[in-house]
Amino acid sequence: MNTMEIAKIKRVVKDTQRIKTFILDIDVSAIPGQFVMVWLPDVDEKPMSVSYTSGDMGITILELGDFTRRLCELKVGGKIGIRGPMGRGFKVYGDRLLLVGGGVGMAPLAPLAEDAIKEGKEVTAIVGAITAKELLFVERLKKAGVRVFVSTDDGTAGYKGFTTDVLQELLQKETFDQCFTCGPEIMMFKVLNIAEDKEIPTQASLHRYFKCGIGICGHCVLDGTGLRVCKEGPTFRDKELRKSHEFGYYWRNAAGQKIYFGVKK
Amino acid sequence: MLDIELLGMELKNPLMLASGILGVSGASLKRVALSGGAGAIVTKSIGMTPREGHRNPTFVELDNGYLSAIGLANPGYVEFEEEIDVAKAGNVPIIASVYGFSFREYVEVGRVMEGYGADAIELNLSYPNVGKAGAFYGYSEELAHEVVAEVKKEVNLPVIAKLTAGAGDIVAIAKACEDAGADGITAIGSLRAMKIDIETGRPVLGNKMGGLSGSCIKPIAVRCVYEISREVSIPVIGCGGITTGEDAIEYFMAGANAVQIGTGLLSRGITIFKKVSLEIKEYMEENGYSGIDEIIGLAL
Repeated sequence: MNTMEIAKIKRVVKDTQRIKTFILDIDVSAIPGQFVMVWLPDVDEKPMSVSYTSGDMGITILELGDFTRRLCELKVGGKIGIRGPMGRGFKVYGDRLLLVGGGVGMAPLAPLAEDAIKEGKEVTAIVGAITAKELLFVERLKKAGVRVFVSTDDGTAGYKGFTTDVLQELLQKETFDQCFTCGPEIMMFKVLNIAEDKEIPTQASLHRYFKCGIGICGHCVLDGTGLRVCKEGPTFRDKELRKSHEFGYYWRNAAGQKIYFGVKK
Repeated sequence: MLDIELLGMELKNPLMLASGILGVSGASLKRVALSGGAGAIVTKSIGMTPREGHRNPTFVELDNGYLSAIGLANPGYVEFEEEIDVAKAGNVPIIASVYGFSFREYVEVGRVMEGYGADAIELNLSYPNVGKAGAFYGYSEELAHEVVAEVKKEVNLPVIAKLTAGAGDIVAIAKACEDAGADGITAIGSLRAMKIDIETGRPVLGNKMGGLSGSCIKPIAVRCVYEISREVSIPVIGCGGITTGEDAIEYFMAGANAVQIGTGLLSRGITIFKKVSLEIKEYMEENGYSGIDEIIGLAL
């Protein structure tokens, strides 16, 4: 059953100027990479990665539009509806893991890192943001024992530039068993290309417009593959994404129209 | 054993994908045909202009069914050409579902879908969650008659009318459609319903009202198919809560010539068409039937 459960907010953490984490009073036992549909009564319902997967569940929200602004206004004790966890989480199998996260894309990667360290794996993360104040979960990762590289677009912290620049440089010297990425699709597209050159298998967590969230309405189906981002995803292997001419180029809006990230191919 | 001929179309089995399910894009439809094993695919309902549909939540699971109000979201008929092109690689008949806010719109979209190479048109006279489209036409004998008659004047494909049990007398509507020249009837679409969350005291769906589907509507749908089949001579396609071969057989016995599967995909996956086909075959073998036509209308 995929019914709606009403959760109460136990704790609110202001992670950055625009990002907040909400710790809820339910434990959904999600696998890192899985998502929940978050319902704000009378407003909307949207998919959110689970950013704290064991114990009390957490979601981490970037204030971007009307829904996330209203969500970020909620205080401790506030009620939201949760459906999930849904979709397929990341699959970890190597010993040396590399994470590349852009902005709020760190949300599903942080619990993956914590779980992996607990299992004795070696984890390196490249965390990127537009500016120092928007870097997400850097302290959380360091505390867990992750080796962290930072990049900011404006150079206010770490490397001045993109995560992909840091990745390129790092992979000149080192290799990893697996790479995991979440963030802007253009970034993930580049991460896949760079990692592929070095033959590092990569999994990416995709963002699409979800309606049903459980694989029935068809609004999030990836062209070229027929795979449903909400069901077979949101995490995909590089091999799966390579079959889709949609990945890295466009997404579909609520009407199902193609919206190109950059210039039409 | 399961292959049928329906409205001039050759179907490898009588199980179609219902409209509104995985039908927004060609890639999705193709997958349902190739991996899923559907005998035919019905597209998402397409209209003249792109529609984003209703706000989320648009889909919730209930105890014995599902409630949804996607709100006729679709990319519009102009952009749908390439989706039909991609879907053709599925190698099964494509039935284009069409809705409109006027007779003219139904006709226009129907004509364009014919131009795109659809094999048949299913007129959406059943969708209950958008004001003056869909069920608005299916609630009234006059409107249903007129929309079918107008479409038949300009579209040369088989035209199927999808009806709703929300109409006062669905049999009268079906007869009006037949009288107007409809080539087939699909019964039924989802039923207007609602769910309120008692912890927050708020309606769950963004649209407040939605369409009820799944197992809980099957007995109503079987009744509709049975009653309609007795009164019309055109093929009837059953739809509503089909999850197993037994469900489908019940519809055939009620007089359905084919059936559509929708939310059944949730419990049995995209390959439900293969699974149900196998179950129907097993039943037929056990009971000594060699063709679907031997069980169609058995209960009438």
